[in-house]
Amino acid sequence: MDRKCLLVIGVGVLLRLVLFTAFPSLPTILAQRVEISTPVTSYKRLQEGLYLYTHGVSPYDGGVFHQAPLLLSLFSILPASTISTNLLYILADLSSAVSLIQIASSRVAAITPRHVSPRKDNVWPPWAIAAAFLFNPFSIATCIARPTIVFTNTIVLHSIAAAVQGRRGPAFVSLAMASYLSLYPILLFLPLLMVTYDCSNAASKPSIQTFSIVTTVLFTSVLLIYLKLSHILTGSWEFIASTYGVSLLLPDLTPNVGLWWYFFIEMFDSFRAFFLCLFQLHLFIYVPGTCLRLQKQPLFALTTLVGIISIFKSYPAIGDTALYLSLLAVHNHIFPLMRYTFFLAAAILYATFLGPAFYYLWVYAGSGNANFFYAITLVWSIVNALIVADALYAVLRDEHETERPELIGKDVVQI
Amino acid sequence: MALRVPVNLRQNLSVVLYAFQALSIGAVVVGLASLLLLPLDEYSRRTYISENALLPGQVHAYFGGSEQNIVRAFRREVESLGNSTSNVVAERIAEIFRSANLKVGTQRYSYKAAGGSYTGENVYAVLHAPRGDATEAIVLCAPWKNIDHILNEGGVALTLALSRYFKRWSLWSKDIIFVISSDARAGPQAWVDAYHDLHGPNVQSLSVKSGAIQGVVVVDYPGGRFESLHIMYDGINGQLPNLDLINTAVQISRDQMGLRTDLQEMWDHKDTYNHRLKTMLRGMVNQALGHSTGPHSSFIPYHIDAITLATHGEGWHDEGSLGRTVESVFRSLNNLLEHFHQSFFFYLLMAPKRFVSIGTYLPSAMLVAVGLTLTAIRLWVDPRSRSKVEVEEVVVKTDEKKGEKSEGGKVVVDTVIDSGPKRQLFLPLSIVIGAHFCGVIPFAVFNWIDYKSMANVFYIFIVVSVAFPTLLSGLITLTTSENRLLPTFHLARCFSLLFLGMFLSTLATVNFSLSFLIGLFSLPLMFARPTPTSVPLALLNSILLQLTSPFAALFIVAGYWGLGVEDILKEASFGWWVWGMWTPVIVWCVWWPAWVVGRISVDASFVMSVTRKGRS
Repeated sequence: MDRKCLLVIGVGVLLRLVLFTAFPSLPTILAQRVEISTPVTSYKRLQEGLYLYTHGVSPYDGGVFHQAPLLLSLFSILPASTISTNLLYILADLSSAVSLIQIASSRVAAITPRHVSPRKDNVWPPWAIAAAFLFNPFSIATCIARPTIVFTNTIVLHSIAAAVQGRRGPAFVSLAMASYLSLYPILLFLPLLMVTYDCSNAASKPSIQTFSIVTTVLFTSVLLIYLKLSHILTGSWEFIASTYGVSLLLPDLTPNVGLWWYFFIEMFDSFRAFFLCLFQLHLFIYVPGTCLRLQKQPLFALTTLVGIISIFKSYPAIGDTALYLSLLAVHNHIFPLMRYTFFLAAAILYATFLGPAFYYLWVYAGSGNANFFYAITLVWSIVNALIVADALYAVLRDEHETERPELIGKDVVQI
Repeated sequence: MALRVPVNLRQNLSVVLYAFQALSIGAVVVGLASLLLLPLDEYSRRTYISENALLPGQVHAYFGGSEQNIVRAFRREVESLGNSTSNVVAERIAEIFRSANLKVGTQRYSYKAAGGSYTGENVYAVLHAPRGDATEAIVLCAPWKNIDHILNEGGVALTLALSRYFKRWSLWSKDIIFVISSDARAGPQAWVDAYHDLHGPNVQSLSVKSGAIQGVVVVDYPGGRFESLHIMYDGINGQLPNLDLINTAVQISRDQMGLRTDLQEMWDHKDTYNHRLKTMLRGMVNQALGHSTGPHSSFIPYHIDAITLATHGEGWHDEGSLGRTVESVFRSLNNLLEHFHQSFFFYLLMAPKRFVSIGTYLPSAMLVAVGLTLTAIRLWVDPRSRSKVEVEEVVVKTDEKKGEKSEGGKVVVDTVIDSGPKRQLFLPLSIVIGAHFCGVIPFAVFNWIDYKSMANVFYIFIVVSVAFPTLLSGLITLTTSENRLLPTFHLARCFSLLFLGMFLSTLATVNFSLSFLIGLFSLPLMFARPTPTSVPLALLNSILLQLTSPFAALFIVAGYWGLGVEDILKEASFGWWVWGMWTPVIVWCVWWPAWVVGRISVDASFVMSVTRKGRS
């Protein structure tokens, strides 16, 4: 890490410290925003669970708290002051930034064993990628509002950083932790396996079959250990239904930026089970396709999946988009090939402004209704989907140009 | 599946650019024109009662006869209390309410804004509904002094008389709260804040409460006999009460009582195009400023529908007609089965019985915002937003598109990839973001300084904000290399307009009029560009920008009301601290920064023409 990286991290940490201390009411205000806090990540609900937990009641009684038990033990050993909590969240963001710097320094985004991008020299320096994460308004707002998605994001980034350095153990222990905390990172197992395999030491590389089997066993056993630990902590298996059950079955229909809540409010109960399965399967079907098509660039397959999860998961928030955007920044060499950058940036800004305005009209002013906010979450999701699609186009184009350099600069027409 | 366009648009970019320019100007023109069409019969609609439960004017109103003597007696009482301090007044009024067997509460408050202190004591009484369960309430309010600081003799007397009169009826299904607020601006705000437990330590809590407030009628009746009723309906931040409430009041007073109703101080409304337009524009100005136009304004942010009935002129109507009107409106409110929701919350009234709804008028504000956004897109697409590469001429000349290289293939692939002119985003983004952060400075300064120094500070601030962009543009021009200079200003304008367009379209959904008026004033920003080759044009642009600056707007507003600018600034500061009025935030943190960026671009042409930079 060079001096510029340290400077960027320092400024990023300072900015968060200033926001926490200069505006003491800001965390509470932001924590109430449905765009930032969801039922499965909200800090307010975490406090409720923590209160019950420290008073010897099962934290899942009352049906408010839906987060993993290990988070409770983390917060219960923490001194009960706002400052230490804030510092923990800042530390998490700092660690994310460090992981991003490691990912960027490894240059896996542009150079993999089976693909070398012709644009490999146009990559931004690592400090710029850290800055893109640390000064992204979405990640700042997420850090200040203190939802637990911050920890999931940090751990996912840490796991990717370990993977690009070929350190299988830390990578999959972390991924197991991320999956344990918020379920959906489990979908990243396959691309992460590919990244790790690509980046592991060429001399002592086992065959892909043994590698996958060993990794799967490692991942599963670590995950089981986490679950058993949680069982010991809370004294029952109740937490499984209250955490993963909630993510899978969507009993809480609080509005968020995703596509599920409105759909399931409107739905007749007889169709609910069918569409729940459909929506969950829909997320899953992207994994094989993405990993197959992008097998030469597994890190990008992983990024794309993070983007898809951030759109289609059951309780998404802007924190998920922040993770995707910061991973996308690692692939900045393909930005010149993206076709709609300005349009997409403008549209995402529009949605960011209109979302709170329409929520205000619906909930506070009473002059709008739920359709207003839902319309804007649709726009938000479409824009995010377009970003994923446009980045995918750019990467495929980049790959295509490596294979057929004579076609550089020619128009591509789909027939 | 892409369509094959006969002309390759990438190579004929100027076609696209002209199309965009035409589109953006077209959008603005259509937006403005469509606003002027609204008063026509074809675009506006007659008002109608949407909520059937209201049944306005369907009951006989009995207030009158001997009740009028009671009003006159109370009027004498109010007159005698005339200039007493607010706690003496509150004590006496509380006594009167108590003698009518009502539960009474008083509330002290004190606000500080712009170096002034606003204190007083509200007094109110709750009539528990004989047929209700105290979950809903309606409010009859009379300020002790009305918005023009005149003693509201008739209004207070009428409220006191009505409190005794209403007590006798057994048909109320909602509690009725009678509020005598100490003044018309801070008092109602303190009361409604405390009613919802959202008050600060400077405001006393309420000792007696009732249910959720469904509607509020304020009586402003300082004089004796009057000619017409002036209905005021603008809320804080341009929110409006449900149209049904206004329709009810209009229908009852006109059709049942034979009382003329006026809107927006249009005393002589002939229902012609001109009068309709004028009423609409006055309504828009009030909405855009977002200030309180009467005690009712403070209720509206709590999603409580409220209006003020103010008497106007000299005529033959007396307290009896006003009392019967209020009685009939209350009978209608009493009929409500659920909160006002049927009719419109977004509308522009152009005559007491004519309006346009949001679907008809929103496009005009949106089109202005779209015009700004389209200009931003055009600026982005324009090849002038890219800086020329410094290296050598080997690099292609026809490269308007990234990643394109000369057909000759002389150049090695590796160096040509994605080369060619690039957009340098850092400096323009810093200019735009920096300008928006600077907006906090005037906002904070004008909200914290004293009323006495306001005028001086304002003139100093004008001088600073005229000189500061010029200096900044000079600095940028002198320190930036020649080939990056024009693209920097180009992109700064692009981002600034994009942000402004985005903000205005968001604002249009919340406060249409403010969005439209700021959009109107910001139109010159679409054309404010650096013109290093023509100093007169730059001069013209600069003057145009000065004439449409936030300061000019402030002077216009001050002139419109015949006040000094310091009074407007004082009002803005009072609005921010007492009412939670957002207009100053929007002016200083959205509009002013956009204007500053426009000025930076225009003023750069002077520096460039002196230093002969950027002329190529």
